[in-house]
Amino acid sequence: MSTVRFDDLIHAPTRLGIVSLLAASQWADFKFIRDSLGLSDSALSKQLTILEEAGYVQIRKGFVGKRPRTSARLTPAGHAAFERHVAALQEIVSRSGVTILPH
Amino acid sequence: MNEHLRPEEAAQALTEIRQRQQQVIDLAVLPTWYWWAIGALTVILAAGVDTNTPAAIGTTVAVFVLGILAATGWALAGTLRHAQLRDGLVDRRGVAAILGFVALTVGITLGLAFALRATSVSYPATLAAVVGGLGMGIGGPILMRRLHRIMLANRAGSPR
Repeated sequence: MSTVRFDDLIHAPTRLGIVSLLAASQWADFKFIRDSLGLSDSALSKQLTILEEAGYVQIRKGFVGKRPRTSARLTPAGHAAFERHVAALQEIVSRSGVTILPH
Repeated sequence: MNEHLRPEEAAQALTEIRQRQQQVIDLAVLPTWYWWAIGALTVILAAGVDTNTPAAIGTTVAVFVLGILAATGWALAGTLRHAQLRDGLVDRRGVAAILGFVALTVGITLGLAFALRATSVSYPATLAAVVGGLGMGIGGPILMRRLHRIMLANRAGSPR
């Protein structure tokens, strides 16, 4: 399998943020993702469902005490797709000679 | 490959990817106060050991254990509640830095305590723990900065 592949599903602006947060996490809390990206509950749910249906994200619903808690994580397929997408972006940048300053 | 994406847009996307990952990484950095708290708790424990009375030792051990649990829980509340770090961000260099810090702190503290006791100085464990505590307060944040740099370098999209 190619290690470089631009992924339109991931590249959508909101989903790119979601997947990037999840890429550094084992599990990330729904509220953390929502607040980090400034999304509404419904907007985040919709994007997570799209990612889940693609097999990129796993959703876990549970309780902490009596409070419901929803978490998400990237599946191995999601991680692989993200790595390939990042490699594709890096290839576009490196071919052009654009310099990216590390943040 | 998306041939229509301009290099500037790709660069912007990579910046976004790195910044989002940094949000998760920043949650896992223990604050400076944590290291001073651990150092202070170590001094309290050592003072209890130096008094050599069961009541003092029991009390200081309880304070130490409860203090460690409370400080660690408080300091890690963000990462426990919001997002746990992915394995692999702290690589072998990070593990070596952690082990080196622990070995140095424990080695200096114990070595100094035994040396002070051998010269019959009063409160050798407490004095050694003060030095060890200072080491934690000063060295802990340095360790955190080192780990932070390593984790940022290991996130996806970072220049290799």
